[in-house]
Amino acid sequence: MAEASQRVNPIRRGGVAASPAAAGLGGPGLYLALPTYVIVLVLAVAPLALLVFWSFWRYDPATYWIKPDLSFDAYQTIVSSGRLAVIIKTARIAVTTTALALVLAYPIAYFMHRLAGARLRMLLSLLFLVPFFTSYIVRTFAWRLILGRLGLVNTALQALGVIQRPVEWLLFDEFAVQVGLLASYLPFMIFPILLSMTRIEGSVLEASEDLGASAWQTLRHVVIPLTTPGIFAGSLFVFVMALGSSVEVQFLGGAAESMIAIMITDVMRVLNFPLAFAISTLVLALLILLLVIGNRYLGLSELFRSVSR
Amino acid sequence: MDNLYDHPSNISRRQFLKLLGVGGLSLGLGGIELLRRPGFSAAQQKQTVQLTFWASGTMTIEQYWQKLEQQEGIKVNFTDNGNDPGPVISKLIFGNAQQLYDVGGLQGGAEKELAVRGQLEPWDESKIPNYKTLWPWARDIPYIRYQGKLYGIPTVINADSVIYLPEKVGKVDTYAVVFDPKLKGKTAMEDAWINSAIFTAIYLKENNLQKIGNPGNLTKDELGAVMEFLIKKKKDGQFRTFWNGWEQGVQLVTSQEVWAMTGWEPIVYAARRAGVKADYAVPKEGYEGWSNDLLLFKGAGQRGRKDAAHRFANWELGGYYGNALGKLRGYMVPTDNNVTYAKAHPQEWPMQEQKDLADHVKSKFFSMKGAIYWQNVRPDNFQLYEEWWQKLRNA
Amino acid sequence: MTTAQPAADSSRRRQWARRLLLIYAVGVLLFVYVPPTYMLLISFNPGLLPHLPSLSHLSVKWYSILFSEERMIAAFKASVVTGIATALITTVLAVLASLAYLRSVNRSLLFNTVVFPMFVPGVIQGLSLAIVFKLPNIIPSLWTITAGHILWALPFAFIVILTSMSALRGSLIEAAQDLGASNWQTFRDIIFPLVSPGITSAALFAFLLSFNEYSRAYFLVGGQDTLPIYMFGAMNAGTSPTIYALAGTILIVSFLGIGAALLALNVRQRRAA
Repeated sequence: MAEASQRVNPIRRGGVAASPAAAGLGGPGLYLALPTYVIVLVLAVAPLALLVFWSFWRYDPATYWIKPDLSFDAYQTIVSSGRLAVIIKTARIAVTTTALALVLAYPIAYFMHRLAGARLRMLLSLLFLVPFFTSYIVRTFAWRLILGRLGLVNTALQALGVIQRPVEWLLFDEFAVQVGLLASYLPFMIFPILLSMTRIEGSVLEASEDLGASAWQTLRHVVIPLTTPGIFAGSLFVFVMALGSSVEVQFLGGAAESMIAIMITDVMRVLNFPLAFAISTLVLALLILLLVIGNRYLGLSELFRSVSR
Repeated sequence: MDNLYDHPSNISRRQFLKLLGVGGLSLGLGGIELLRRPGFSAAQQKQTVQLTFWASGTMTIEQYWQKLEQQEGIKVNFTDNGNDPGPVISKLIFGNAQQLYDVGGLQGGAEKELAVRGQLEPWDESKIPNYKTLWPWARDIPYIRYQGKLYGIPTVINADSVIYLPEKVGKVDTYAVVFDPKLKGKTAMEDAWINSAIFTAIYLKENNLQKIGNPGNLTKDELGAVMEFLIKKKKDGQFRTFWNGWEQGVQLVTSQEVWAMTGWEPIVYAARRAGVKADYAVPKEGYEGWSNDLLLFKGAGQRGRKDAAHRFANWELGGYYGNALGKLRGYMVPTDNNVTYAKAHPQEWPMQEQKDLADHVKSKFFSMKGAIYWQNVRPDNFQLYEEWWQKLRNA
Repeated sequence: MTTAQPAADSSRRRQWARRLLLIYAVGVLLFVYVPPTYMLLISFNPGLLPHLPSLSHLSVKWYSILFSEERMIAAFKASVVTGIATALITTVLAVLASLAYLRSVNRSLLFNTVVFPMFVPGVIQGLSLAIVFKLPNIIPSLWTITAGHILWALPFAFIVILTSMSALRGSLIEAAQDLGASNWQTFRDIIFPLVSPGITSAALFAFLLSFNEYSRAYFLVGGQDTLPIYMFGAMNAGTSPTIYALAGTILIVSFLGIGAALLALNVRQRRAA
């Protein structure tokens, strides 16, 4: 009898912490993760450790190569030649893109999960994915044609009589870069949030309504907190991809605008590997620091363990 | 006496004989290879050889490579290397480019660096009879030689100045148009210090605004002055944007985003083909010359393809390649062979067009200014160039 | 005020919300679709300018020569192959890792390790992997690119699956185990069905990430370019408008595919009714 009720009404189970079974299964957990650990360690961590090591060497213009000469030159240069400013600027743009993407994507994900039928949901999902099967380089290039002086937007606005002369600031400034980044990465925010919404059972929302909460209050106090894993996932995706982007800035930015990826390529163009490695070590260190802080104070890495019983 | 046969523990007799046999076979094959050297039977020479050509996109002639296979028995496998010296050199040293590619093509200037890093073999001019037909000043380009040996063969040559829309800015004959405050937000330059620094330097030098020795190789102080000027212009909003790559450059002109910009001549041709009136300035300050040079990778030697590579180089200077290049892109091989070949094969190539193109390019090099300033991807202070460019980016 | 009123009110409000949000979603969708649609329209312009065609001058000229652009088509195929390989391997690894996450005690170590490659700039990751492969003299090929792409896509796939696993309830797993199910059965019958939207999403993400990735591929490429490498080269060296024809073809084929899938779904639903 007890077993049957367990099977039939899993939701009613008490809020006991992580099941004892899970706590004791550190062993099999390790086996499952082993291939991943190995791959990441061998292919990512180990070579990068080497690069970090090389970032402390010095570039020698005479031999066009690096010398094993322990020095902080590369790191000093980052601060003295305005390279740190690029890192900060890239981070700022990435944060803005992430925030905008979150605000734009959340209502869509909510709509797709709660208010759209299964067919509409699938249709919208597929439609949001299709542009990714075309080359993003060509897609970003197309924004130049749309936002330019003789472009689609200006032509339309002039035809409608809204403006007399073409608007200049649509293209080749940060506005255009944000537009390009958003158009490129919005689906990466939509889908994680959508996936995390599957965790919300209808009964919880009904209960909230029964208790007299307005739709807005339900949203604020029930839905959003429950979809925190999705919000975190989507934000992480968009942030990382915007941080590492270069095409949008190159195609849509102003004169010689820079991002981290462009800076590293610039530096590698002159084969100043210590500097390139120093820049990427710094970026990596900052991101890992953010992750560690997030882990400690927001419990980010624990976010995904299932809490509902 | 120590004899391998007396020590069964080392290597058995049978194994040893096998080794001898294999060794003999490879010697024999090597002998055949030796027989294939020039001087021996032409038939034996012309078995199809594969040659991998890793070069900038301007150096491929697409469908016209077939002629090379017909004439010399060399099948070219072309891959675009992006014409960016940094990644190319990185892939040669760090990556596996030496295992993959035999011959390279890169904008001139990196020969010294690659030679010092042991990535190149020098070309043997005795195996490239057509080399003598190169125009003298092409053979005299300073950066193609290092320590007296020839490392780069300039196969594609041109001289750049300013693209402009005559209906918007009238007739242009000076670089000043790009820096003209009346054209704020309507000009552009290339997002590459290699080009833009030298253009600015030429402008400043010839208009007596700065004391500059060689615009293609600026000293520390000259570079500072040039870049400060450019940074100020950027801050003043002079430039609509900087362009990166062919499609961006063409699009700026055809969409009239800019009315004047420094850039490559074929962009003018492309704009005209698309119905936009664009012209190329004949600047009183003089042009900026560049070459795309053929490089012989060390890997080719290891794979026994050095001879094929030399024949390939020779063929490129023979005339057909130059004609194809002219037809496809409006670029030139700096030799009179193109015109001679076109004359001899009128059904293949229109001779007059080739002659006009050759005259046009030659005239640039002997233009009003007389001298040409060679663009060098590796000026002496190239690290400093990059640092200044970063400052420009931040401005 | 009858008790029916608040219910009617809320359902009307619900309808309004639904309509508003639908319009909003379509609006955002249109925003995302402006560039691809523009490319599709340009591809019918026989001229060389990337401008919208005039209605009297539509042509499929670029489509007809699309398949003669051998290098582009070969690069496209290479990207598809690499993408599929990346998706398959990455998804398997991500599923394993997420199962380990569920079960393990030291979650943050696992999480940080898997997520770490995400933070490495693409150029640096590509270069470092190229060095790693050079030592044992591994010849660069689509497989070396796949390796780089697995590193890039794995964190994404891992997190996506974890996100969908939040729909999982520990009680279900416990119940199954109490009833005597083995680990494999638990996975097959409980976890997998609930997480399959996440696994599908992860596989799709992995494919798309690989299909669009440039920097890592650039350093790991062998004799055959991938599509982004080809496209970058084309943007740099100049190309014909066939690149728009390629984009247009992909769009048209995708839309036809979606249409077909929806039709099939319709038919199945009607049959079931």
